[in-house]
Amino acid sequence: MIEAVKHIFIAIILGLLQSYLIQEVPMGFYLKPMPYLMLFFVLPLNLNRFIVLISAFIYGTLIDLSSGSFGTHSAATVVMVFVKYYIDKALIDFDSLKLQGESYIGLESKGWMFFVYYSLSLIFIHHFLFFGLDFFEISSIIRITTTALVSTIGTFSLVLLFKSLFNK
Amino acid sequence: MWVIYQWIKKNSYPLLAFSLFLFSFNQILQYQIYQHSFYFNSSISFIRSIDEWRSNFTSFVNLKTENDKLRNENLILRNSIAYSDSLIGLYDQIKGDTTYLDTLSSPDKTRKISYDYVTAKVIRNSTNRPDNYFYLDKGSVHGIKERMAVMGPEGIVGVIIQTTKHYAIGMSVLNSKFETTPLLKRLGLREGVLKWNGSDSRLMSLDEISRTEKVKTGDIVLTSNYSSIFPPYQPIGKVKKVNNNTSSQFLEIEIELSTNFNKLNTVYCVSTRFKNEMDSLQNSPLISPVSGINDKKK
Repeated sequence: MIEAVKHIFIAIILGLLQSYLIQEVPMGFYLKPMPYLMLFFVLPLNLNRFIVLISAFIYGTLIDLSSGSFGTHSAATVVMVFVKYYIDKALIDFDSLKLQGESYIGLESKGWMFFVYYSLSLIFIHHFLFFGLDFFEISSIIRITTTALVSTIGTFSLVLLFKSLFNK
Repeated sequence: MWVIYQWIKKNSYPLLAFSLFLFSFNQILQYQIYQHSFYFNSSISFIRSIDEWRSNFTSFVNLKTENDKLRNENLILRNSIAYSDSLIGLYDQIKGDTTYLDTLSSPDKTRKISYDYVTAKVIRNSTNRPDNYFYLDKGSVHGIKERMAVMGPEGIVGVIIQTTKHYAIGMSVLNSKFETTPLLKRLGLREGVLKWNGSDSRLMSLDEISRTEKVKTGDIVLTSNYSSIFPPYQPIGKVKKVNNNTSSQFLEIEIELSTNFNKLNTVYCVSTRFKNEMDSLQNSPLISPVSGINDKKK
């Protein structure tokens, strides 16, 4: 119960941060970070996959409503959570994670490098789809990829920053 | 049903993800202006291309029906041409006659030289024998009778020699027994005998034309009004070669047929409306049977 309240609190904080701070500040040079994705990196891995998927959809829709981008955030978030489930299933040993006393992949769970690859690839999938749906043009593929890459790095840096803040 | 339920149960997670994604995607197309217009324009052009493809396909499938329609239309046109030709012929005959108008208004007289056309398809045809015949897919039921002329779209084809209820056999002009007197259009000459020499399906020979006649290469050859079978002024072909041989009193003329017998498909069978009357005249004891109509000069 406390866990659930904690996660809802994180979700609200990240959502507000995304909608009223990050989105409002023009960062330039294709940089559009989306730190709200961090929520899905701190959710317990043993949580029911259907609940995670539906909450991802609702969360994405709420972000969409606040930012006026109907459906783009929710579509990208749903796809990312869907892919994440299969990546977790294939690469993570839940029993050893339980023994370590962790419920999600942290910086030290499987080593730094694993965390970097794992989160970067998931964030990139989300961003690529998000900007793809946003630009909605095959001819803009280079711009979509560049924006997605740059923003992935931005989002990842913010995720790292928040992780270090929250852990402390 | 059970299998479907099991399948859905097994794939419920991807199905849920897919439906949520579709829902979001639908939101994008519905509420985002740029995406909406892009989607709208693309779907319109897609639907148009499908429509175009479907219309092309339908017209291709309907080609046969269209072809039949055109054939029937041609038949009607040919009939009307024959009718107007008969009127012109009649006008030539009664020029200066005060009863001209009375004659025109009398249907029995105006239809005097009219022809009836029946369309048919060639179902078998030969061109490489000394005597060639063709088979038609229509017979006596459809109004085809013996001694009817057979015309192709490009020119004369032959004569019906035998009919059954639903089929008919015709003697091709590429037959050693076939003979007719043509009309050389430029000279107005109704003379000679047109025969097939038995070698080339595109060539016929025109004999018994006097050496004094100035026949030239390229002269158009039509059916003459001396024939009791063929309607007059129908194309036969054109003069390909003229050989003025001093040892003979006649010219040796080669005619190139306008009909390509290797590509024969649709033909018209033609009969004169008053053929029986003409035949009875032809068989009159006062004149010899063959030369009566065919060889007499106008």
